Amino acid sequence: MRHIWTFLANEKRVLPYLLSIVSTAIVTAGLLAIRERMEIATVALLYLLPVGASAAVGGLGPGILAALAAFFSLNYFFLPPYGTLLVHQSQDILVLLMFLVLAVSISQLVGRMTTSLATARAREHETTRLYELSLTLSKLHREPDLLTQLAQHTLETFQANQVEVFTESENQPGLIRMPETGEVETNLPTQPTALASLQGRQHLLGEIRLWRSGRPFSPAEERLLRTYASQGVLALERIRLAASERAARVLEESDRIKSALLSSVSHELRTPLATIKAAVTSLRSEDVAWEAEARRDLLAAVEEETDHLNQLVGNLLNMSRIEAGALQLKRRWNVLAEIAAPAAKRARLAGQGHRIELDIPEELPLVYVDDVLMEQVFNNLLSNSLKYSPPSSVIKITARPQDEATVWVQVDNQGPAVSESDLEKIFDKFHRVTAADQITGTGLGLSICKGIVAAHQGRIWAENLAGGFAIRFTLPVQVEGVAPRIPSE
Amino acid sequence: MSNQPHILVIDDEHQILRALRTILAARQFRVSTAATGEEGLALAAAGQPDAIILDLSLPDMDGVSVCQLLREWTATPIIVLSVRDGEQDKVQALDAGADDYLTKPFGIDELLARIRVALRHAAAQAQVDKKTVVTAGPLVIDLAQHFVRRAGEEVKLTATEFKLLAYLAANAGRVLTHQTILSHVWDPADADHVEYLRVFVRQLRKKLEDDPEQPRFLLNEPGIGYRFLVDE
Repeated sequence: MRHIWTFLANEKRVLPYLLSIVSTAIVTAGLLAIRERMEIATVALLYLLPVGASAAVGGLGPGILAALAAFFSLNYFFLPPYGTLLVHQSQDILVLLMFLVLAVSISQLVGRMTTSLATARAREHETTRLYELSLTLSKLHREPDLLTQLAQHTLETFQANQVEVFTESENQPGLIRMPETGEVETNLPTQPTALASLQGRQHLLGEIRLWRSGRPFSPAEERLLRTYASQGVLALERIRLAASERAARVLEESDRIKSALLSSVSHELRTPLATIKAAVTSLRSEDVAWEAEARRDLLAAVEEETDHLNQLVGNLLNMSRIEAGALQLKRRWNVLAEIAAPAAKRARLAGQGHRIELDIPEELPLVYVDDVLMEQVFNNLLSNSLKYSPPSSVIKITARPQDEATVWVQVDNQGPAVSESDLEKIFDKFHRVTAADQITGTGLGLSICKGIVAAHQGRIWAENLAGGFAIRFTLPVQVEGVAPRIPSE
Repeated sequence: MSNQPHILVIDDEHQILRALRTILAARQFRVSTAATGEEGLALAAAGQPDAIILDLSLPDMDGVSVCQLLREWTATPIIVLSVRDGEQDKVQALDAGADDYLTKPFGIDELLARIRVALRHAAAQAQVDKKTVVTAGPLVIDLAQHFVRRAGEEVKLTATEFKLLAYLAANAGRVLTHQTILSHVWDPADADHVEYLRVFVRQLRKKLEDDPEQPRFLLNEPGIGYRFLVDE
């Protein structure tokens, strides 16, 4: 008995047929009790009730079944002679035939209505799912996200056991499997239950594979899966197109930058080269016997200019990397003071009596940065400060926690204020506040700082202070909301 | 055999070779030069140099592989030369057995200092069994007895602090990469946790250095690792 119930619960399709039999039986039982007082026409009319109800609930099949059951019950129980399928009066035969025609047509009408209602519901459901899918996909900008979402939606809509979205691209083939590994069912067959190819405009991009045990795949579901695939293709092609467009724009931009750089830089490169060449040729010439002090001066000039050239080349390299989006950060946890100290030491040597002060508290949390690039930021900020602030003035590096996830760092000097309109522009490439012939530089230093800080998800800005000028930037002290954990021993 | 130290320079740039030959010879070094990795390896085997200066970009083979090949049979100190921004290359070379690195362009004083450290380190390594006490300025680190004195006073170090200091001091003069130190002092599984090093080195500096902000002994090598320097 128990497994009959389980069977019924599992086989939903049998239930309506059963209901039509049961409902006809109930009506029969009810009518039997008052058989003597009923007209045959009324009985026939009442028998239409289970027919209509069965067709409405279960559709065409159960409706017809109820009609037949009612037909036989009517004949057997209510047309004399009772208890046989024989009919004596010709009038009764007419009633019986009329009833059968009526019952079948009602069940057909109601059944068809029910079926089309069910189809409409299914269509509506499909449309909703499809709309959700296209809405989700249209918001995504990264290929892996897209494939994951496509697989996830397919998995949910088709109530599949497993879905794979396989893609081929120039770079590498990709395979997204849902549900994600760990809960993969190992007893699935190698052949997927259904398959839809991701056919792009020019070539095949990949395919969706779906495994489902139990229910077979209906033609409607096949159709829906193909629609899913074409939605996937649309989104995939959109993302790939956007990516190649971005790449093209970067290329174009970097071309523009390169020519601007060349013109700005050739001057900057030649100036130190001129000094070096002049000093070295003088020292080599045999017409003059150089005094020891003059020799030292010339040689010091050569060394300074070499350092200058080296710094320039480093800046150019970093600039081109930032521009090409090829700046590779090797982020590690670092002590900010350890990064700032060597830069400060270098600035002390290069400055004209400038006092470089460090105000970085001991308890400042570790910062998550690329220490080599961050040192370049300090070098550039300090070298700017040295250029624009008067000799023997104070240049100060300050750092403080801003909130749980960030620290701010400030490099300030006693140089002249920068006009409000220029505060933003000084971070642009080649932007120089002061006339180019007064102070040397490529106008790259601050834009490199901006590029490096931005690559660290930080922000950099300039401020005029009372009696000075400051650049401030922020750095993260947490990764994914977590500060580093240090083992106590 | 003269007792002038013999330096082998492997670099494919002739201007650098010419300059280094002149400069090092003037400082009483015996110098041999090689322009390719192949030639360098042959000269290293034939000439038994006291130190090798190795450029990482060579025409015929990767400098890192030269380093590995040399380390298969010799402990001669290797100082690697490379251009700026080659942190990854430097780390690879150091992990392949190089002792030190120098970024091009470099000052000659810097190079000479590195050569001196390397030669001294090699001499110390030669009698490594006897040497269990490392002295650096006011610091005396007894690797066997597990104690540290600073200007005669004992410095209390935690177990990890001592392990870290001992490892750095035992390799005094050499640049050790973050990964190497972390794998030795903690565990190979912790090789990426540079934050451990940052914190423990800071603690050590506070206990050992006169000015922890301007360290003399525990030196930071940005992007690469640390070096324990024994004062000249």
